[in-house]
Formats: sequence, structure tokens, C-alpha cells
Amino acid sequence: MNAWTKISQLDRRWVYLAVWIAVIIPLVFPARFPISITPEARQLYNAVEALPESSVVLLTFDVYPNALAETEPMARAALHHLFRKNIKVVTLTTIPLGGPSIAERVTREFATLYHKTYGVDFVNLGYKPNYASVLKGLSTSIEAIYPTDNSGTPLKQLPLMQKVKSYADMKFIFVVTDNGIIDYWISIVNAQYNIPVGAGVTAVMAPKQYAYVGSGQLTGLLGGMKGAAEYEELVGKPALATTGMGIQSLVHFLLIALIGLGNLGYFLGRRRKEGTA
Amino acid sequence: MSFWETFHIWLAAFLTVAVFSFLYKDNPIYKAVEHIFAGITAGYYVALYLDTVVYQQLWVPVTQDHHWTLIVPGILGILIFGRLWPKLTWLARFGLAFIMGSTAGVFLASELHGKVLGQIAGTMQVQQVGGSPNYVLTAIVMVGLLSTLIYFYFSKPHTGVLGVTASVGIWFIMISFGAHFGYTVMGRVSLLIGRVYFLYNDWLGTLH
Repeated sequence: MNAWTKISQLDRRWVYLAVWIAVIIPLVFPARFPISITPEARQLYNAVEALPESSVVLLTFDVYPNALAETEPMARAALHHLFRKNIKVVTLTTIPLGGPSIAERVTREFATLYHKTYGVDFVNLGYKPNYASVLKGLSTSIEAIYPTDNSGTPLKQLPLMQKVKSYADMKFIFVVTDNGIIDYWISIVNAQYNIPVGAGVTAVMAPKQYAYVGSGQLTGLLGGMKGAAEYEELVGKPALATTGMGIQSLVHFLLIALIGLGNLGYFLGRRRKEGTA
Repeated sequence: MSFWETFHIWLAAFLTVAVFSFLYKDNPIYKAVEHIFAGITAGYYVALYLDTVVYQQLWVPVTQDHHWTLIVPGILGILIFGRLWPKLTWLARFGLAFIMGSTAGVFLASELHGKVLGQIAGTMQVQQVGGSPNYVLTAIVMVGLLSTLIYFYFSKPHTGVLGVTASVGIWFIMISFGAHFGYTVMGRVSLLIGRVYFLYNDWLGTLH
């Protein structure tokens, strides 16, 4: 068995180990890689930047815990931007598993950082089942869908919700999601109620969403950890996604090298086999 | 950090390492964690829907606000459980028929208005780059769209002009698959980074 055949038959656990080491090294010895800003991320940033002070933005946490590495940095960067601009934030989720508690934890943390008061500067509506009914119902009455907030406080007792009755009182919807719900924020809310929608989605979902940006149905897009790092860069608050992009770069180099080696081993092995036949 | 916070982190770290142990080889600890995850998820969803649907949207409005009409969807919901008994399976059709009809009604308009028409309009307009029209990109989008559509046209054999155009469509489809694959790799690496960051920062951090 020659060296190339050995490489093409390498036990995949060595590959796992190499990837593991490639992830660990930049964590122990952090290296900052330059992050280029895509037009879609800048478009989203500019849309939020153009909002007048005290306007209301709906920030959705349509996320499951398993994709938090991609979605949480987006939500955190968005909250930096929104609270810094003194924009009122209403959060909700259409995802029961993790969504409500993640929204609560992240918004409370940033509210403390920016000295925001619950009920006045931000409200967490929490989760309601049946996303289609929720998305349509919010167009007529938020209170009909969410009689209480995430903690059970009636909306009547929250000053912010006295001004925000439906989509008509919102200037922008910032959707952070790891699932197909983004399609319905576009097809139900943006298309039927004409509210601008911007999105931060996981990398797996991003290619499809570019079509919506191109058609103007999405006002900007963040794709995966790269998109989150771009927004962190734009708001000037580098965090986990920026660190993660250094790791991504190293792992991508490793994967490209492994793909190259694997293919080289396959072709050279086949040529040798044909030569001996 | 309180005792319970530390306990949660150690528990999460143990579960994470147990799942990663599958990469070496299948083992009883991995299997146990897999079953715990499935069981907790099922239990959580049952409790959640009992609270958010049955209690909040049926029991409270009927008993406290006297919205008697909600009893009708409540009965339709109960009928779906008819599927558990072979002789009563037919009862489930009433509830399912209502779900199918209402779902079709809600999504027909939104899919047509928001996706089909929106995307057709988006394709027909001149593509913009940095706020100015880009006719080269517009031509690429048009060629890509038409050739890809022709690739999926199977009523005539793909020969002659149709065959050449379909071949161009294959190239656009392959480039699209490549973009999807690249993004998927990035997504999966991101998830690994998230877990390793948790182990390195949160879990090992508790040891300091």
C-alpha cells in the first residue's frame, strides 16, 4: 500500500482530531482576521441606523438552542445597535424550545448595560403557538394575541405597549432565526403589511435568502457567523462571532487541504491501478 | 457563581462531551444522552402545549371570559385523538379537514403574493449593485433563471438548443449547490466552535 492509498483510506477520526486542534489553537492563541463587510450586512445596518430615535423595532428570537453559536451573536450585536440608538425594542419568538428564555436572558443583559427600563424601553412578549395565526394576528391587535408578556404581566400595565398596538406602530422588524419562519415573515408580514424586514439567519439558510434581498423583500441580511461578525464590526463591538471567524479561517484552510489531499490520493491511486492493470 | 449555575455548566459539559464521544465510536454513554435528550424534548413539548394551547387558549377564555364558541375547535381537537382507536379513526378527519382547509386558506394568498409574485418581480427588474443599475448582473440572473427552468422542462428531449440551454442550467445549479455546501460547512463549523467555546470558556473557566 503506497502513501497516497493510505491517505485516501485514512481513519476519519484523525480528521476529527485535526479539526478539533484547529478549533482549539485560535481559542488559546486568539488571532484577529480582517472582516470584510458585505453589501447585505451594510444594508441592514444602514436601515437600523436610519430609524428615528424612540421608534419601535420588533426583534424576533426565532431560535433553537442548538444554533445559538450563530444566532446569539447576531441578536447581541443588534441589541447593541438598537439600545445605543435609544430605539424601543419589542421581542417575541415563534419557537417554544429555548426562544423565550434566550430572549429574556439576552435582552435583560443588554438592558442593564444600556440602563433601559422594562415596559418603557423594551418588552419581551414571549412565545405563542401557531406562527401563522400569530404573524397575521399581530397586524390587527398585539394584545389579542399576547394578552400578557413573557412573565405574565398584562400588556395594559406596560407603558410601551400602550403605544404599540399592531405592526402599524413598528418601523422595522429584525428577524433572527435558524429556521424557515423567515419565509413567513417575508410572505405574510412584509408582503401583506408592507413593514420592512431585515434578517439574521444561519449559514445553511443564507443562500436562499439572497433572492429575497435581491427582490427587495428583505432589507439586508446577515448570513451565519460571518454575518454576525460583520454586524459586530459595524456596531464596533467585536465579540464571539469575530473570535469565531479566526477559527473558521483556520478550519477552512484545513478542510481545503484535506479535500485536496483526498482527491489527489484518489486520482494518483487510480492512475497507479490503471498502470498495473 | 452560585452552586446551581456551576452544576448546570458541569452537567452541560458532561452532556456535550458525551455527545462528542460518538465521534470516536458508538458507546452506551452517548446512547443514554441521546435518549435523555429525546425524552426531555417530548416531555417539554407536551407540557408546553398543554399550557400555551389547552390552558391559555381554551380553558381560560371559556371558563373566565365565557367565549363559548371556542368549545367547537376544542371538540375538533379532541376528535383528532380518535386516531388512537381503530374504530374511531374516522372522527379525526373532521379536525384534520379543518386544519387543512384553514392552512390552505392562510398560505395560498401569502405564498402567491409574497413568494411567487415577489420573486417574479424581483427577477424582472434591473439588478442593483451599490445603488446603481448593473446590466451584466441582470443578464446573468436572466440567463441563469431561464436556463435552470429549461433544465426542469421534461416534456421534450434535451437535444439541440434545448439541450445546450439545459446544460447551461446545470452549471448554474452546480454553482448554487457549491454555495449551499460552502455555507453549510461554515454553519457546521460554527456549531462546533460554539460548543468548544463553551467547554473552553465556561466549563474550564469554572475550574480557575
